Amino acid sequence: MVKKTEDYIIEMENVSFSFGNLPVLDRVFFQVRRGEFLGLLGPNGSGKTTLIKCILGLVRPDEGTVRIFGKAPWDLNDDRHRIGYVPQLISVDLTFPLRAKEAVLMGRYARIGMLRRPKGSDREAARIAMERVGIADLADRPLARLSGGQRQRVFLARALANEPEILFLDEPTTSVDPTTTESFYELLGGLHREGMTIILVSHDVGVVASHVDGVACLNRGLVGHGRPEEVLGSEEMARMYGCDAVVFHHGRLPHIVVKRNDHGDS
Amino acid sequence: MEILNYTFMQRALVAGTLIGVLCAVMGVYVVLRGLSFIGAGIAHASFGGVAIGFATGVNPVWTAVIFCLGVGWSIGLLSRKGRVKEDTAVGIFFASTMALGILLIGLMKGYNQDLFGYLFGSILAVTRQDLWIILAVGLGILAVVVLFFKELLFVTFDPEMAQVGGLPAEKLYFLLLSLVALTVVISIKVVGIVLVSALLITPAAAAHQWSESFRSMMALGIFFALVSTVGGLFLSYWLDTASGATIVLLSTLIFFASAVFSPRRRRRKVSVASS
Ligand SMILES: Nc1ncnc2c1ncn2[C@@H]1O[C@H](COP(=O)(O)OP(=O)(O)O)[C@@H](O)[C@H]1O
Ligand SMILES: [Mg+2]
Repeated sequence: MVKKTEDYIIEMENVSFSFGNLPVLDRVFFQVRRGEFLGLLGPNGSGKTTLIKCILGLVRPDEGTVRIFGKAPWDLNDDRHRIGYVPQLISVDLTFPLRAKEAVLMGRYARIGMLRRPKGSDREAARIAMERVGIADLADRPLARLSGGQRQRVFLARALANEPEILFLDEPTTSVDPTTTESFYELLGGLHREGMTIILVSHDVGVVASHVDGVACLNRGLVGHGRPEEVLGSEEMARMYGCDAVVFHHGRLPHIVVKRNDHGDS
Repeated sequence: MEILNYTFMQRALVAGTLIGVLCAVMGVYVVLRGLSFIGAGIAHASFGGVAIGFATGVNPVWTAVIFCLGVGWSIGLLSRKGRVKEDTAVGIFFASTMALGILLIGLMKGYNQDLFGYLFGSILAVTRQDLWIILAVGLGILAVVVLFFKELLFVTFDPEMAQVGGLPAEKLYFLLLSLVALTVVISIKVVGIVLVSALLITPAAAAHQWSESFRSMMALGIFFALVSTVGGLFLSYWLDTASGATIVLLSTLIFFASAVFSPRRRRRKVSVASS
């Protein structure tokens, strides 16, 4: 049933992209395997969000090829429904008058199709997604009255409502307290064990490292990716891209070495 | 209420009601998507369109429709392609289309009383034909909003996510701009080019203060707009004031009352106090 080529759910080859004359991505080669839980790391402004947007077809690279499910991102058609995306929170208007369940139901809109109304099955999918992330009791709460962590779960539920095979999360735990962050990652871990492919963007290595089973480090170009012990072993490497932790990958259990040099930012 | 026996007042009330509903509905998208300045820009651009109508002898509504759609799309295209920022694009069209209108009028012989009506609105001079145009175009706009309700909601809230899901976000954005342009054009005869953007923005902004869901914001926006247009008409009749200005000031009053008394405002105070 699953084609051999789909062992790599995402393939990027030699991708370059610039905003005007500001180079943001520089000859990036990048693959993600089906079922992988990948942390995409890198300092602020290193191009993580742009890389994700290339994969999602929101920006088109100047050079190179991007494939997701073996197709070009702007040519996905119905395969779009297999993608779940939780964008960076800063891009969302928090005064928008919307109840949690309405925001979650939006995850189904594209699947429902133009000129059609949501059906009972769509509301049911939204309800199940909310239950899955533990916000069923907040269904009628407006976005403006949710905490940062609750809101992040709403957006995760919105992505899940579409029953995706791959999840992209862009800095999902910025401005969320450590306890909430921890339970959010446990939630992602559970999804991963059920077979979800997850790409988690963060500039916070220390927190991500204990949950993912692979990392890629970005600083315009891809500085390292793959079996972490091969890529991240050297200290220069870590210093080069500003990551202050190194993840080792032994079987199912990731081991972490965190270099503490307390920048003060969490 | 013998004033209701006057044909002009009946027409004014029907026109005011229709335009109130339309401006409130489109205003919700304008306010939430941050299109207020574009709305004002398109409104001022209609002056150029109306002047072309006067210069060519065509009904100014139609020349203004074409002109405003063109301006709306141009602003959208210029800012989408990243050539200039959106507010810069608006600023350029805002002034240049007014300039075009002034130039054309200067070339025409004599002073045109009707044109003054378009600038500041003359709800009491709404003709039967105007009413039919408002009704036909207005129902068309509302039909499109109903048909694309969930799509317009999605691109207004989160255009990027909508695009990832596979909705034609760009096209829907231009659809939204077109609907705003049409709403502006059929409203200018009633509230005036200078004032129409206020009716587009203010009732929706007032409703925003109270609302916790999209539908309630729309319903309340319509209610506020109707109070403003219908109430403003009667007030202007009794006080013998300009109808467009009375309508706009009444809606502004509602906005300030909402900003001061709405629970959103009170909640913000409470949360500041407790943190
Ligand atoms: N819309 C844009 N226009 C111009 N430059 C941008 C835009 N978006 C991002 N950039 C620039 O591209 C670089 C990479 O941004 P981004 O991909 O958001 O980085 P990250 O997500 O790793 O913080 C940054 O230098 C940023 O300033
Ligand atoms: Mg980013």
